[in-house]
This record gives sequence, C-alpha cells and structure tokens, in this order.
Amino acid sequence: MEEIEGYTVVSLRMSPDAQHCHSVYMREHFIRLMDPNKPKGRTLFLLNVPPYVTEESLKGFFKRAGNVESVQFAAKPGKDETIKWYEGTKETFSTVSPPFIFKVAYVVFQKSSSLAKALAVPSIDLFDISGASTIKTGMELWHEEYENHYILDAEQTKAQITEYMADYDRRERAAALAAKNSEADADGWVTVGKEGRNAGFEQKESVIGRLEKKRENDTKTKELKNFYTFQIRESKMQNIVEMRKKFEEDKRKIELLKQSRRFKPF
Amino acid sequence: MGKIKNSQRKGPLAPKRLQKAAEDSVLDSHSSDLEKPGTSSDDGFEEPISKPSKKITSLPGPVSIIARKKNKFRTDDTKNVKPPTLEEMKELRDTRNLFHSNLFKLQVKEMLEELQLKTKYTEYIESWMESFTAFTQQQLKDGLMQKSQLEVPLNVDMKISSFIFSKPTKEPQLIGAASTGTLLGPKIVVDVALEMPKDCLHKDDYLNLIYDQKRALYLTYITNQMRSYPAYAQDKFAFNYHANNPLKPVLELTPAAKQVSKHLLLRLFITAPQSTFKPGRFVPWNNNIRPTYYNDEWDEEEALPSTQHYNANVLFDLTLAQNQALLDKAFKGRRNFQDGLLLLKVWLRQRELDTGFTGFGAHILASFIVYLNQQRILHQSSSSYQVARTVWNQLSNTDWTNGITLAPAASQTEQLSTLAGYYDVCFMDVTGQLNLCANVPLAVYQRVRAEAKLAVDLLNDMKLNSFPYIFMQKCPLYTRVDNILKITNYSSIQQMLVLHSKPQVKYDYANYAYPQLLKILTVLLQKGLNERVQSILPIESVCSSWPVESKAPVIGQAIQLGLILDPEHAYEVLDKGPASNDNPEGSAEFRKFWGGKSNLRRFQDGSITEAVVWGTAKDAPSKKRLIVRQIVLHLLEHHLQLESNEIQYIAAELDLVYHLTPWFKVSKVKTKLELQQDTDAEALSPNVIRCYDDLARQLHALDDLPLEIVSISSISPVSRYCEPMPVLPQARLMADRIHASHIQRVIIQLGQSGKWPNELGALRALKTAFLIEIGEKLKAQCHLNWSITSEGLLVLKWGFCFLLELAHNKELALLKHEVTERGVTKYVDNSESRALEQRHYILPKVSGALHALHQTHSAYGGTVLIAKRWLATQLLDDGVWPAMATELLVAHLYLQRNAPQAIAAPQTGFNRFLHLLAHSDWNGELFLLNFNNSWQEQQIGDLEHSFRSDRQSYPPLALATSYDQQHAGRLWTTVESPSLRILSHVSRLARHALEMIETSLQSKDLRFVRPAQLFRGSSEGYDLVIQLKSDLVPNALSYDLGSPFVSFDQPNYLLPRAGKDLLAGIVQQLRSAYSDYAAFFYNPHGGKELAIMWRPPTEFAPKAFKVTELQACTPCDKGKVQVVRETLVEDFKVLLKDFYLRISTPEELKREQREQQNPKRYFNAKHQETEASSKPKKQKLAKAAKVQAPPKKKSLIKSKPLKSLS
Repeated sequence: MEEIEGYTVVSLRMSPDAQHCHSVYMREHFIRLMDPNKPKGRTLFLLNVPPYVTEESLKGFFKRAGNVESVQFAAKPGKDETIKWYEGTKETFSTVSPPFIFKVAYVVFQKSSSLAKALAVPSIDLFDISGASTIKTGMELWHEEYENHYILDAEQTKAQITEYMADYDRRERAAALAAKNSEADADGWVTVGKEGRNAGFEQKESVIGRLEKKRENDTKTKELKNFYTFQIRESKMQNIVEMRKKFEEDKRKIELLKQSRRFKPF
Repeated sequence: MGKIKNSQRKGPLAPKRLQKAAEDSVLDSHSSDLEKPGTSSDDGFEEPISKPSKKITSLPGPVSIIARKKNKFRTDDTKNVKPPTLEEMKELRDTRNLFHSNLFKLQVKEMLEELQLKTKYTEYIESWMESFTAFTQQQLKDGLMQKSQLEVPLNVDMKISSFIFSKPTKEPQLIGAASTGTLLGPKIVVDVALEMPKDCLHKDDYLNLIYDQKRALYLTYITNQMRSYPAYAQDKFAFNYHANNPLKPVLELTPAAKQVSKHLLLRLFITAPQSTFKPGRFVPWNNNIRPTYYNDEWDEEEALPSTQHYNANVLFDLTLAQNQALLDKAFKGRRNFQDGLLLLKVWLRQRELDTGFTGFGAHILASFIVYLNQQRILHQSSSSYQVARTVWNQLSNTDWTNGITLAPAASQTEQLSTLAGYYDVCFMDVTGQLNLCANVPLAVYQRVRAEAKLAVDLLNDMKLNSFPYIFMQKCPLYTRVDNILKITNYSSIQQMLVLHSKPQVKYDYANYAYPQLLKILTVLLQKGLNERVQSILPIESVCSSWPVESKAPVIGQAIQLGLILDPEHAYEVLDKGPASNDNPEGSAEFRKFWGGKSNLRRFQDGSITEAVVWGTAKDAPSKKRLIVRQIVLHLLEHHLQLESNEIQYIAAELDLVYHLTPWFKVSKVKTKLELQQDTDAEALSPNVIRCYDDLARQLHALDDLPLEIVSISSISPVSRYCEPMPVLPQARLMADRIHASHIQRVIIQLGQSGKWPNELGALRALKTAFLIEIGEKLKAQCHLNWSITSEGLLVLKWGFCFLLELAHNKELALLKHEVTERGVTKYVDNSESRALEQRHYILPKVSGALHALHQTHSAYGGTVLIAKRWLATQLLDDGVWPAMATELLVAHLYLQRNAPQAIAAPQTGFNRFLHLLAHSDWNGELFLLNFNNSWQEQQIGDLEHSFRSDRQSYPPLALATSYDQQHAGRLWTTVESPSLRILSHVSRLARHALEMIETSLQSKDLRFVRPAQLFRGSSEGYDLVIQLKSDLVPNALSYDLGSPFVSFDQPNYLLPRAGKDLLAGIVQQLRSAYSDYAAFFYNPHGGKELAIMWRPPTEFAPKAFKVTELQACTPCDKGKVQVVRETLVEDFKVLLKDFYLRISTPEELKREQREQQNPKRYFNAKHQETEASSKPKKQKLAKAAKVQAPPKKKSLIKSKPLKSLS
C-alpha cells in the first residue's frame, strides 16, 4: 500500500472497472485540541475527497470496517472548518448548500478497532454489488433535487410551517420574559431591553453613530470658524493647500493613465 | 438588547473621556513647545520633557487651546505653505474657470505632448527642403517634355499636343500642416508646393481642362527628373489624388532614409501664380468647360452652364500661396493656436469627417481660426483649449450657408450672397474668390456642426470626464449611421451617369463620377424619405496611391451613403400626399414620384388623398424597421431603374438572430393569442408584458389576504425587451408539474406590519406560507394553476409561467445582521444580502428604468437582443459574463451622448457595442448609468476618486447605476464574472468581429457579413468537447446558426420542467469544483456541447506534498503529487452521467462529423433542390455554406483562436 508523509493513499473508485481514479489520503485524525465531535482514536481523516462524494456514501462504504457514527466534511483541515462548512444549511427554508469543491472528511467510528481496518482497505469503492454507483449524479441527481428540494408540497409545507412557527413563538416568549427580568445574574450582568424601567438605548451601530454625531455637532456650532483675521487668513491658506493637493493628485492620476498609454489618439 | 454590566452603563462615554485626557496631554506638549521653541520635535514619539509639562497641566484650558491654534497655524505656515506666486495663482484660477478639473487640462497637455513631432522629423524636413530647393534651381532645365516611361497621372478625354517645360522661378514652399506646425502622426504627411512659372501657361489655358493637363505634365516632368537625380533615386515614388479629386494628382514620396521612412510621406503639389489668368475668370457663374469638350450639343441661345466647382478647383491652386501666407502669419510662433488646431484636427479625424472629396478638411478649420481671430472672437493669447472651444462654439452657432469671408471688405468684390447661392456651404478665402468649402455638401457641414455642438455640450457637462469622448474615442462613420446604401456595380453606375446625370452637373465636376452620383442619389432620397431621415452622409474611403509607371486609375465609380434616420418618423407606415381635390397638381406630382405604389385613399377624417402605404400599423417592430429600405429600393427602381440585386442596402442584416427558428411551427402552440410564423423575440415580448399586467391586476384584486399587496414588479428581461429567446405561450401543466422554457420573475411587496418575526428561518417560513395563501386564492378566485417551490410561487397564466417572490425589508436586515464583540449590532453587506438586495429592490428599479429607456430609444431592446445572442454564440453564458452586464453596457451606449443623434437601428447599436467591447479601457473606466440624473456631481467625483485610488477592490468590469449607490461598481459584476481573462477574450472577439464588418463594408465586392459568419463561435482553442445527448437538451427557439463543433441535428423543442435549468446547474457545479484546472464554455441558447479548455500546464506539473494543496492530486514520483487530467475527465463523466454522449477533442469530433454526414446533402445542388421545399432552414444553410466555400472568404469566417485565453 502506498504511503506518503504518513498518509495512506487509496484510490476512490466510482465503478468496478474505473481506470483513472482520485487518490484519497487517509490517516488517523489527531490534533492537540480535540474536537468532541471527532473523538481521538475513533476518527479517520480523509484528504482530497471529490466534490460529488456524499456523507451517506462514505458511511455506507466504511460500514465494512465497523459501525460508523458520523461522517463530516470540511473545506480544509482545521478548527471550526466543519462548522463553517455546514453553516446555514441546517436551517429550515434555507437555500444555502455546502460548496461544491474538493474537501476533507472525518469518519467517526463507534469502536476504535474499526480504525485500523479502515486504514487497511485497498480502495474506497463507492458502488454496490451490481456495480452501480452509490452516489447520485447527473440526470438522476438533478431529478431528485428538483422533486424533493425545489418543488415543495403545499400541504406538507403548510404543516411544517405551522409547527415551526409554534416553536418559534415559544422561543420568542421565553426571550421576552427574560428581557423583562431586570435582576442581575450570577456574574452581575443584567439584560436590558427597550422596555422597562431602566431601558437603555438600542445598541445599534447607527444609533450610536447618530448620538456621537449629535455631540460633535453641538461642539461645532459653539465654535467660531471664520471670525478672526487669522482664521480667515488660515482658511485662505488652507484653500490654496487643498488646490495644490488636488493638482498633485490629478497629476498622479495622469501618470497612472499615461502608463496605460491612453494618450495616443490614433 | 445586549448585556451590559451595571457599572458600565455609560459605556460609550467612557472612552470619550479617555480620549479627551489624551488630547489634553497633547495640548500640553504643544504649549511646552511654544514656551521653548525648537527644543523638541513634537511628533508623539519622543517623550515630552516632564518638568514643564507638569507645570502647564495646571494651566486653565482655554489658554492651552489658543496656544495650540497659534502653534498649529505657525507650523502650517512654515512647513506646508509657501506663499503662492502670482503665476501659480493665475494658473490655478485658470484651471478652475476654464476646465472643470485639472484632469481635463492635464489630459489635454499629455495628449499634445504625445502628438508633438519628434525632432528627427523636423530636422529631416528642413534639410530635405533645402536640398529640394537646390534641386529645383540647379537640376531643372527649360525645354520640351521628353518622352519618359512615366504615365501622366490624369485621365482626360482630349490630350494637349505639346508642352514646354520651364524652370520654376520660385522656391518650393511648405504648405498646410507642415507650414503651420500642426503635423499629425502616425503617418506624417508633409505637403510641399512648387509653383509653375507663368511661362508654362498661356492665357487661354483656363478652358477645357488645359490647365489641369499642364499641371499634371509639369508634375510628371519633375518626378522624372527627381527619379534620375541620385539624391532621390532610392526613394519610393507614387502618384495619388489629393482628397480623392481626380484633377489634383500629387506626387507621394516616401524617403528612403531609414530613420523616417516608416512614418514620413512627402507630397508635392503643383500650383500656379495667381496672376496667370485674368481676375474674374473663375467666378462661380463662369463656364470654363464647354459642352463641346464632351461632344455635347448646346443650344447657342442658352447661357452656358456655370462650372462653379471646377472653378473652385483651379482657384485652389492659384490662391494657395496667398492663403498659405495668411495662415503662416496667424500660426507661426503661436504655440497656442497651433495646439488648438491640433486638438481640432484630432477631433475631426476621430470622426472621419475629413476624408475624401466631400470631406471637411483641416485647412478649413485652420482658416476658420484665422477668421475668428480677425473677427476678434479669438484673442491672440487665448489658450489652446480656448481656441478649440471657441471654434466648436462658433461652428455650432454660425451658419455658413449664407457665406462668411476671410477677405477684407475691399477685396471682397462680389456679393457674398450671390456667391453663396452657387454652393451648399460658403466660406470665402482671403482673396475673396475661392470658396474653401466648395466641395463640402450640406449634410457633411451639418454633421460637423452637430458634432461641434456635442463637443461643447460634453465640455459643459460637469459630471463627465469628457476628454476620452472628444479626443480618444474613434467613431468611424459607419457606426454613426443607421442604414447604408452601397452601389458598386459598374453597369448600374454607368447607367446612372449616362441616363440621369444632368449635363450642367457633369460639366461642373469635369465629369467626375462621384459628386454626380452623390447629387443624383441625395436629391432623390432626400425627397422620398423627407422627414424619415435626418441626414444622408457620403462615406468615402481614401483612394490609394499607385506607382508612377502605371496609368492613373479611374476613381469614384462606387458610392456608399450612410443614412441617419429620425426614429420618430422613420418607421411610419404611410406617406400621405396632398389632398387630390385641393391641389390636383401636387397630387399628380406625388403620383408621378411614387409611381405605382401610390393610391388614392380615403382617410378616417374624410380627406381623400394620394398615399403610399408601406405596411400596417400592427407590424412587428423589426418589420417596420425595413420600411426605409423598402422605400429606398422602390425609389431607386422607379427613378433610376436599379434592380435590388444591383445594389446593397445594409439594414437590419443581423436582426435575423433573434427571430423564431423556422423549424418550430407556431401553429402547434395552443393559444388564443395571434402568432405569426416569422415572428421574433422583440415582437413577442408585448404578449408576455400584457399577460404580466393582467396577472398584476388579478393579484391586486385578491380578496381576504391578511396583508395587502403594495407593489408588484417584474424583473425578467422580457419586461424590458431584453430577452433574446422568443417566449411563446407554451407553458403547460403536465402530470401535476409545470413545464415551461422560461419563467418570468415577479417581485411582490406587502403592506407594512409589525408582526413579522425577527428570525430568518421564521421569516422565510411565514413568507412561504403567505405565498401558498396567494396561490390558493389565485386558484380559487382566478382559476390559475400554481405550485410552490423553494424559490417562490410558480403561477401559470395564458401559457406563460411566472415565479412570484416576496420581498421583505426584514429579510435583508437579518441577512446583514452582525453583532460585534462589544455587543453592538451592525449591518454589514455580504454576498448573500447583496444578491437579495439586487433581486428584490434594485433590479425592479433598474428594470423600470431600462423599460423607460426602451420607450424613448426603440432600438435599445433590439440592440440588447443581438448583443446577447452574439455573446451566447461565442459560448459565453451567464456564469462567465452576466446578462445584466450586457444590458447595462448597451444602456450606457444609449444614455451617453457620444453621438449627436440617437441610434435608430439595432444593428448600428450592435456595431457600437462591439466598439465599446473592443476599445474600452476596462481598467481605467467605470461605467456609470446615471438614470434620471440622480447622481450628484460630488457623488460622481467621490466614486471616481475611490475607483481610481482603490482599483483593486472593484471587479475587472465596473458598472454602477444610480439605484445602487452604496454598492457602486460592485453589484452587477464580480471578480469571477467576467474575469480579466474573459474580458480580454471578449475584447479580442469583438475586435475580430469588427474587422469582419469593416472589411465587408470597405470592400467593393463583398456583401455585408452574414449572421452565420458573426454568430457562430470558433471551434479552435478548446482541448475537449463534451457532446451531450441531444434529446435531453432542448433547442433554443431563436434562429440557430449552428454550433462550432457539430453539424445540425434533429432539433427538439421539449418543454423542460419550470424553474431550474439543468445544464446551467451542472456547469455551475463543474466551475465551482474544477475552475482551477479547466475553463468551461457552452452556448446557453440551446448549445449541446460543453467545450473545455485546460489551464496552462504549470497547473498540472508535479508539486510537493502539502496538506492544504492536495485537491485532485494523485501521487507521482519522489513523494510529489500532481493533478492528472484523465482523472478529471472521469469526474466530468460522473457529473454528467446519463447526459453526455461522448468526450473527444474538437478535431476528432470534426473528423467524425465529416465521415458520418453525407456531404452531398449540403453541397450537392441537385440534392438540395429536392429537399429544399420541405426544409427551409437547411436550404438557407446550404446557401451559407456555398458562400463560405471560396478559400478567400474562409479566413473571414473563422473566429480567432482562443489560445491566448489561457
């Protein structure tokens, strides 16, 4: 079996007679800061997984090495990459799907003994006994996507929405209740809402900006800007300086334009 | 609401106080500086000396503030501002008053520097003149003209028998640009005049072209002598006609000297002294060519016809010296005038108005500058910019048709108005005899005036950097005219000359064909087209020189006219004559003029008049655009007996590409709408719009909706006439699923309500619920079928399919929502929010604006259709070149006033679009569409500034409209689409297409390019072609001109499921995964092949093992890895499963096609005839194929390879 830099290299076959296959690089997943979702000793780390490979298909394949707990993808190895990969895809009515690119995979087995078995496979075969691929692609995939994800069934969707909204209302109520409670928690923090006795202003960038601007204006209006002779003289000077500056700036622009040879009319 | 610790309730204030403290300490250090000047450079790096600072901290605040101010003022004074000199003040003020910005002034300065002649040329010219003067004085001898091998460069009927040469008595002189110091590259033409002495001429030589013959003989003699003189023996000699005038042969001399031969050309003019002939001999009303000269009979009692144009022609030579002296006086040593003239010359030449016999030459402009100087409108010390500006201003505000004169009142002997009566345009020279504009037709003069007016307007437009539009942009005439009439057929030209040219005109132009033809045609067309046409412009090309040994060619035997149409009247279907009972004579004349086409008609208002009807009011716009063509062809046939196959009328040649394909039979579509078989995308759009309007009405009228619908807007291209594919009412409900080839997106906004949830998921759930509600109501109240999708609500109506989406402000806000570390809520744009904002809020507005644009410029839609079709056939789909970019670029063409007249024909619009693509400086230009002029000057300035200084943050093609200010330049295009590569590829394609168009226009024999030549991509440059199963990809309904890879196959017009484009989805997947290794191209309008081009080999080279760069890599030797192409191909196969037919290289595919197909079917004429009746399209194709057959043209058909793309 081929090895490179500590990785076991196996080919990923989409059909029994596949000629040119992608190479998948496998090793035991091990880093200092372990992720609880990728436990030490039970996680197989795969590099260079082709974009069309799905979680289910890998799960299906690695079953032969032992029961698989989960399969997770990420764009590249690293902390939080998996979370980033799945960000926004789990929400209801979301149209976000994970990117279609070459990725890395983490296969978590239930038993650590499965890991060695998995590392010893000669190739990753993503087809069933009859030789048909376990991954839906092309027309089939498109059709499935269209029927199951694009077109929605009205009745089902309605039921789903009612359920979801009920859940949402429950959450909202709980949050509203918490907001009314103006007592300090264990760390001395108090939730401040828009309502209530000691309401704060909204912590929005625009609101803060507005307040600061107002204060700035207040100080400005109190000042006399163009009153004393020296101020007038100064503003005149300033004017000239500005004009000079603009001139220099334009000159620089022209230099830039000149480099792209824009002054030859013919 | 965030959580804040109790003690920090006044959070935002606290840092302020800190800041204040910091400020105080800075003040302190300042004041310390004041006390002890020069001790420390107070830049904050050095610790202030502790002792004094401590002391001053106790000082009260105000003192320290004043101290700071004084201090600041002083430092400014010493460091930055040196007192301005008077000169600088003047210059700064000048800049502000004269130009809007320094930028314009500096650009002009740079251009003038660029135009400045290199000293090697000026030195060479000087020394050449010296040697030539010596030559004329020493080497030329009086005597009889010897026999030489040279041909006299003049074609005349009767030749004079003898000519005695006499040596020039005057020194040769530089004339024109060389003399006024305004030579202009890249080909520097130096004009030299040599005066024929009086001895060569007799006083009777004025008659019957004798003067011209002597002039030509003199030139030949000198040429002969020069050729045998060693100093010139190496040079290249050629004859040419000056300004396409066959009576004005000149010698063109290309010096052999290496350093100048590439760009320098010397032209030798022969002139004659003014005193040769009696003054008054050449006044316009005199006849100097007798009818007998052409063996014509002339009634002796009738006055001889005047030959004003010929007279001006001779006078040009006679007065040259005097005119030149005047110009010299005005221009010598005045850099400002010279530069001003240079600017004007550049402007004129970019517009191609100075070419040919009818051209508005630069010498007219030079004389006009002198004229303005004389009139005290231009001051001696005016700057070059003022000169140019004043000339434009005066050009547009004065009228030369009544005549202006350079001559002092004393020498202007003839009445100006009498003189002006003999010419279209009259500008008398300093002698008061020659009309400088004798050959300029009225149309050309009006054109120059219009262009000048535009230039002034552009200069006045503060919101615009007008410099490139005025000086840099090339605007060949053919891109400014809507239709072109081209007659090159020799026999028809002769027929016109013999049968229809009046003898007076013939004598007047000394039997030169071109002006005669021009006169015949313009008079006829002007009368026939009347209001429909704004101007009829001659489009001339400069004749090329010929070697001195060969005979002078006959020129002017072809004519090309450009018609600028008036969009308001051009497409009227009716020409009404005078009422028959009121004005019987006029009626008869009308009938005679229009011939059989004219009928007596009774109108609704009761009048009975003669009228010509060219179509019906209901005709499709594309059909109406051909009315002018119909009229012209009819007039030419009726009056000049020219058959339509003898002439070329170039109009709407490319409009074919958005027509409905003849393969699809509209009779098969079940619909209540009226459809024609020869319909097109433009004519079908109103059906969809009407249907949409009806749907909107129904939506508004829906009862019992929880919230009222406030606004409905359509964002699909059809609603702004920009959908290049014909949309037929075909959408159907089949097996409970909606099938449609197009969906029309509609955005709905609901009334205000405070009850929408604050969570994205919940908001979307509610929106979906709302859409379902709408759907159910539509079904119940309006009986429309619907279906809910993850994108929105699909509604079926009248055979069109709509996709309704709900827009809500909160969704946008929630997408942008972010919380900073300090617990402050921020709204930050991201790609998702930007896409949503574009679709829901900006696109509806832009769509409306574009719709309005189409209402004012009816050619807008058509232009977009052709442009989109062209891009599609070059295998550029939405993923690499956004469709909106095309629409906005075309809109930019229509909004920007870079031509005096609006474009009236889509084809012209397309030509301009190609020009824009070919010659734009993508890196330096931001395309700004200021709809309704809502951007303020300041904002534009800021945007341009940010664009220039921070170019990297903008996409390669930057587009902005007035509705997307906060995203300006970043909304419509991205870094990937179009990428820099694609952009330069498109530029190259456009240049190539323009080349084809230009060659076909300039050539005498070629017809205008066929759509098949332009609208079929090249098959070269691609590495792989994936052929898809043709029955799975439906064909486009638009006129298909064939794929670059395979020949025609049986088309299918299956209706796909509504909403998701199969092929686009897969290509998007391929691009997102494999764009590092390959580029993918396909024709989005029904293309059935996917062309693939590998990235450069470096991407596939072995590289070291790196965990993060392992994508698609396979191990190879020595622990390295590499990407293998075959593996990727396998991947493509996987992704296109059940979908692809085969993968091969383009060459293989071609070979296979050739073997498979029976070639007889296409090329064998007999076979074709039998098949033709049943298959109209193939017949057309066969024709195209036949045309393509000669090898000469084949080179034209092939598009340039794409190689440089990678």
